[in-house]
Amino acid sequence: MNRVVLIAGILITVALVVILSAGLGKDPQHIESPLIGKQAPDFALKAVGTGETIDLTQFRGKPLVVNFWATWCRPCYEEHPVLVSNAQMMQGQVQFLGVVFQDKEEKIQQFLNERGTAYPTLVDQAGKTAIAYGVGGVPETFFLNKDGKVVAKFEGPIDPESLQQNVRKAMTQ
Amino acid sequence: MKRLILLLMLATSLAAQEVKVPDAEQFVGKPQGQPVSGALLDQRTNETGALLRCPVCQGMSIADSPSEMAVNMKHQVRELIARGYTQEQILRYFERSYGQFVLLKPKFQGVNTLVWILPILALILGAAVIFSFMNRQPVDEIAPPPAADEDPYLAEVRKLTGKQS
Amino acid sequence: MTASLGRILILLSLLVSTTGAVLGYAAGWKKSADGLKWARRFALAFALLMIGATFVMEYALITHDFSVSYVAQVGSRDVPLWVTIVSLWSSLEGSILFWGFILGIYIAGATWLTRNEHLDYMAYTIGTWLFCGSFFSFLIAGPASPFHTVAIPPLDGPGPNPLLQNHVLMAVHPPFLYLGYVGMTIPFGFATAALLRGRLGQAFLRPMRAALLLPWIFLTIAIMLGGWWAYEVLGWGGYWAWDPVENASLLPWLTATAALHSALVMERRGSLKGWTVTLVQASFLLTILGTFMTRSGVFNSVHSFTQSSIGPTILVFLAAILIGSVTLLAMRIDSLESDSRFEGPVSREGFFLINNLLFVLFTFTVLIGTVFPLLVEAVKGKQMSVGRPYFDSMVVPIGAALLFILGVGPALPWGRATRDQAKRALLPPLIGAAIVAIIGYALGVRNAWTLLTLAFGGYAAQVTLGQMWLPVIQRIRRGDAAGAAIIDSQLRRGRRRFGGYLIHAGAVIVIVAIAVSSTMRTQQEVRLTRGESATVGGYTFVFTGTEQKNEPHRVSTLANFDISKNGKAITHLAPRMNQYTAMRDPLGTPDVYTTLKGDIYLSIMNIEGDAVGVNVILTPMVGWIWWAVLLMGAGGIIALLPFSRREKVPQADEGPVRIGANEVAIS
Repeated sequence: MNRVVLIAGILITVALVVILSAGLGKDPQHIESPLIGKQAPDFALKAVGTGETIDLTQFRGKPLVVNFWATWCRPCYEEHPVLVSNAQMMQGQVQFLGVVFQDKEEKIQQFLNERGTAYPTLVDQAGKTAIAYGVGGVPETFFLNKDGKVVAKFEGPIDPESLQQNVRKAMTQ
Repeated sequence: MKRLILLLMLATSLAAQEVKVPDAEQFVGKPQGQPVSGALLDQRTNETGALLRCPVCQGMSIADSPSEMAVNMKHQVRELIARGYTQEQILRYFERSYGQFVLLKPKFQGVNTLVWILPILALILGAAVIFSFMNRQPVDEIAPPPAADEDPYLAEVRKLTGKQS
Repeated sequence: MTASLGRILILLSLLVSTTGAVLGYAAGWKKSADGLKWARRFALAFALLMIGATFVMEYALITHDFSVSYVAQVGSRDVPLWVTIVSLWSSLEGSILFWGFILGIYIAGATWLTRNEHLDYMAYTIGTWLFCGSFFSFLIAGPASPFHTVAIPPLDGPGPNPLLQNHVLMAVHPPFLYLGYVGMTIPFGFATAALLRGRLGQAFLRPMRAALLLPWIFLTIAIMLGGWWAYEVLGWGGYWAWDPVENASLLPWLTATAALHSALVMERRGSLKGWTVTLVQASFLLTILGTFMTRSGVFNSVHSFTQSSIGPTILVFLAAILIGSVTLLAMRIDSLESDSRFEGPVSREGFFLINNLLFVLFTFTVLIGTVFPLLVEAVKGKQMSVGRPYFDSMVVPIGAALLFILGVGPALPWGRATRDQAKRALLPPLIGAAIVAIIGYALGVRNAWTLLTLAFGGYAAQVTLGQMWLPVIQRIRRGDAAGAAIIDSQLRRGRRRFGGYLIHAGAVIVIVAIAVSSTMRTQQEVRLTRGESATVGGYTFVFTGTEQKNEPHRVSTLANFDISKNGKAITHLAPRMNQYTAMRDPLGTPDVYTTLKGDIYLSIMNIEGDAVGVNVILTPMVGWIWWAVLLMGAGGIIALLPFSRREKVPQADEGPVRIGANEVAIS
């Protein structure tokens, strides 16, 4: 029995199998956000419809939900009612904001007319805000606490439980 | 005078509606290099773009990917280089928002050093193994094997041609 | 009904392969000739069942039988017939059935070719083949079944992924890849049998080497076709991105190439037997790792099939054969070695060892780079990427080193070289090195690595051509007619030698072309409105307008460009933007003009009304890569052709094979 071959072989086998099985069950498309725990990048963008410029800092003092989305994205279409109804429920306590990038203003207006709205929807410039937030796809939702710090990021269409869970995090952290 | 008042009104109204997007300056400070333009700007954009990963594609760099997200990022890179930001600063800026995931060339720090070092270690180990293998063999001290050890076909050919080249 | 037929055939194949595997191993253990006969029958039965099941599936696809689940998944009445036929391998379940099909053909062929030979080994060999076959039958019968019955068959299906309908290479690349990949099972069977028997006779080398060379040829071409396809279809103008699945196809190729070389030493010296067997085992294991990487959903790749549940199953199989192979190797490797003598590093043998070291290092580096992000995520929970810049930095020196020894190794004589011999062998090709490097410099090459590669390439070219034609030159000097000399020495007697040097010649061109095409590339984004023109790299591009083409499954918008140089019209290119009915985002297809000097490549970034944004990419020498690889394939085929008059192959190990007057061995 050749010891060297046996030990080397077992080491390689174990290492390989452990590493590969650790990868199973993980979604390779999912990116962890490095912004959690850090101050959210400031921005001031134009709102659709009213045209007024809305600055992120004007909401300090209240937890903030920032949802990145686009009209062409199917899951965004599905999660929209969840955001709208929760925004109405939590009015006064939590501020909601929508940010759209890679889209046309007429389409956004049409979408909001059809699906309703309860909070400002802002238009990003050349996706720069999205880049600063590390947005990899839509929809993505960020939860900020009252001091403007990012406490959580949710990828994909959000459901009511996750939304409320993360809002609670934003309120307490 | 009228023109001046008009200008002032325009200026103040614009100032009140100033749109502000997050800028690299908040995160990596002022540009540490010289502003760049022209063909050199294209070249540097491609170089830096080749080091950044498109977050929505399967492993492509933003220099190569046609997706809108990648194009936006590439424009951002171009703008930053034009303003004089160095490659190091730009990479740090994107790393801040996306994490190390976005760097196609692993940083030489922490556990990542392994990916750079392990192949070198493997080379050294392999070379050592070969060296010991070659030295282990008893070398034939009696006259080195002549033509018989050559390619037998060549040996045959040489016999036929009467040459011993 | 069709689905049930398919299911039955696959279940039978599972039964047959499992029984046959047990039979084969038992027959090998008992040394039973009768058992071997039955094992062979089971092997052929397995092949027939797999082939049958595949025909059933193709029939269902072509007749648009949407009651079969796989047809409902990838079939469509709108697509051309060739797309329907190749949709067999367009999605996961069908592609595993295709794997089984190719495996069946290989096993049948190998069983038939060895029907009178090596009887001591064949029972174990067939047992191993059928063991692998049973795993794939299990996959097709169970987790990855394409033969489910659809209760309410739809009227039409979505068709295969539009990216796979864009180019005819879809019909060619996967079959070649599977022929290469799956073919590694055959030498694996031989190697495992040798380990189980505890001996590897010289006579057994020939089938093992042939069994390794045939899939190697397919895999070499398949990898090139993959690169060519990416180049022609994806639009970024490159042919290799170190994508995990691309790496998966490269890994077994690297170890198989190393094995082919160490097998040469094994044949001459009788040494390196255990090492060669290890490399053969590794080549097969890497194909299973490769299929895991492609199908498990663990890796982020352009090629990833949709996430499926078969990842864990493949991993279990991989772990099982890894443990089995490692144990077997540890137990038997020492008994395989015979006495060996090594003449020192400055000899052809020494360079074979360095060759192996470099190939294994290459394999290790690519493997580490590919799985490293997984490792970091498992250990630290953080995500990081290992992309092209890493692989390029690591692989360029290895590639240059390989080119170097490709030149120096064959120049050295076998055995210990005297100072004089070494000088006479190693100095003259420096002329070739200088010539090629100077030509490169004159044509504008300034990159240090590229110049070095050119120098190594020139050296290697001179050595390769010299060695290739040496026997012919000797004969002509003696007075033979040139034609007869060529036919006799290159095609009748020295096929392996000639073929081998052809492969080397192709490899030199490939490496040099890769170096030049990567470092001398020009790329520019250009925005033009109709009638406008732009100049890139000396060529003038005039955008003459768009046109639309309507097909049942897609609407294409072409952007027409006239290209000229110094006023002389050169060609017309029309890159496309395709809008497939099945996809939201449009997909671009570039258009390429290939010449000996290089390629002009246009790919659309966006079209808005009368304005178009295109990527203009000028890549020198890239076309050489595809054709040089085909040259390598041709060399392999020549080397593989059997001898005209075969010496009777011993039934059992009788000792060294006597080389008859009409047989020529080795290089």
